[in-house]
Amino acid sequence: MNSTNRVANRLLVLIVGLLLVVVAAAAAAAVLIPTVRDAWKAIAGDVNAQVASWLQATPLGDTGVSWIMPAVLVVIVLAVILLVVFIVRQGRGHTRTVLSERTSEHGRTEVESALAANALEDAIGSRPEFIASHVSAYRVRRTPVLKIAVTCRRGVSPKDAADIVDDAVRALDELLGRPLPALVQISGGFRSRTGSSTRLQ
Amino acid sequence: MSTTLAKPAPRAPDARTAAPTAPARASGPTFEPVYRRIIRRETHSPRSLVAIVLAALLILALAWVGTEIVIALLGAPALLVAPVDMFTSTVGLADAPAAIVAAAGIGAAVIGLVLVIVALSPGRRARHVLASERTAVVVDNEVIASALARHASFAGNVDPDNASVSVSHRRAVVHLTPTSGIPVDRDEVTAETERRLAGYGLSPAVTARVHIAESGRIGA
Repeated sequence: MNSTNRVANRLLVLIVGLLLVVVAAAAAAAVLIPTVRDAWKAIAGDVNAQVASWLQATPLGDTGVSWIMPAVLVVIVLAVILLVVFIVRQGRGHTRTVLSERTSEHGRTEVESALAANALEDAIGSRPEFIASHVSAYRVRRTPVLKIAVTCRRGVSPKDAADIVDDAVRALDELLGRPLPALVQISGGFRSRTGSSTRLQ
Repeated sequence: MSTTLAKPAPRAPDARTAAPTAPARASGPTFEPVYRRIIRRETHSPRSLVAIVLAALLILALAWVGTEIVIALLGAPALLVAPVDMFTSTVGLADAPAAIVAAAGIGAAVIGLVLVIVALSPGRRARHVLASERTAVVVDNEVIASALARHASFAGNVDPDNASVSVSHRRAVVHLTPTSGIPVDRDEVTAETERRLAGYGLSPAVTARVHIAESGRIGA
């Protein structure tokens, strides 16, 4: 429902995973396989000399320090900022308006999601089939979508639960005069496992 | 604010309600792309937890390296390892104690492999899509199982405590323990379970399999 960028999530996990596999496998190979070990040792000296010459060839003014280190620092700071943005971007997408229409020349009509949420929770909340219900609104591809999450009592048929919520949503359609896309999420969970079960109808 | 939603009347009492019913049905298909996207996202894991944990660990590691660089530039003693030592010990890895490096390397490679699998596997949640005209409905497998258990125990004339059902992606397995002396009609239980499943219109479709315990139980 939310606007989490799932491709980015998987990409980050994939990149970190691949890096870990490659680096770790290289490290293990460097100490376990004799030929790799010898090659590694042969290159190590050259790499050290090369990097040392780079550090000397890139002085920062007359401070005697290479500017490579501050440059690395800048890259690190940028990466940290990107990662913080990445974390903050998770789970967004709530909206407070479910309907916004230009109803006349003089203005627009906006319906807040709280109205839909209160109306639906009023209609569903008192039903004995449900232990809990929660209604929220998200914006999916610029369309406001209602999310109706209900927790069923043990043994309640999911079809009955879906029909009850469907009826309430249809009634809301009539109240608003516009149909809103809606997701119904029917779950069990701890409270339904410990609570009393439904009676046979 | 108190708003009461009554069940919509089958006939339209006035023009205000008559108008939206026709577009409501007509606009059903227009929700289709939105519903398809929502349903896909609700039945698959976003991998948020793993991604957030990894990002937080990366931030910590980068912040530490950054701090060490700043400290080294200021010429102060390092917190844990100076950047120069980090570099030389990485390059001189082959001279480090083999057992430690190998163990750490293999451990890290396994973790990396698990992460790659997590990133590429579909990550299906234990949920099914239920057929509905007006809304998009996703149901936890647990709810389907507890409803089937109730119906199966009723059809098999077994105490509800002696019926257990587990629902997976394509299969519902019903276990019944009959009350001693009262036989259970397996065909009836299977037919009832199949009928209920057909009524739910689950996608992906679920087929029922009924197991009835060999020995009954007394006092239940």
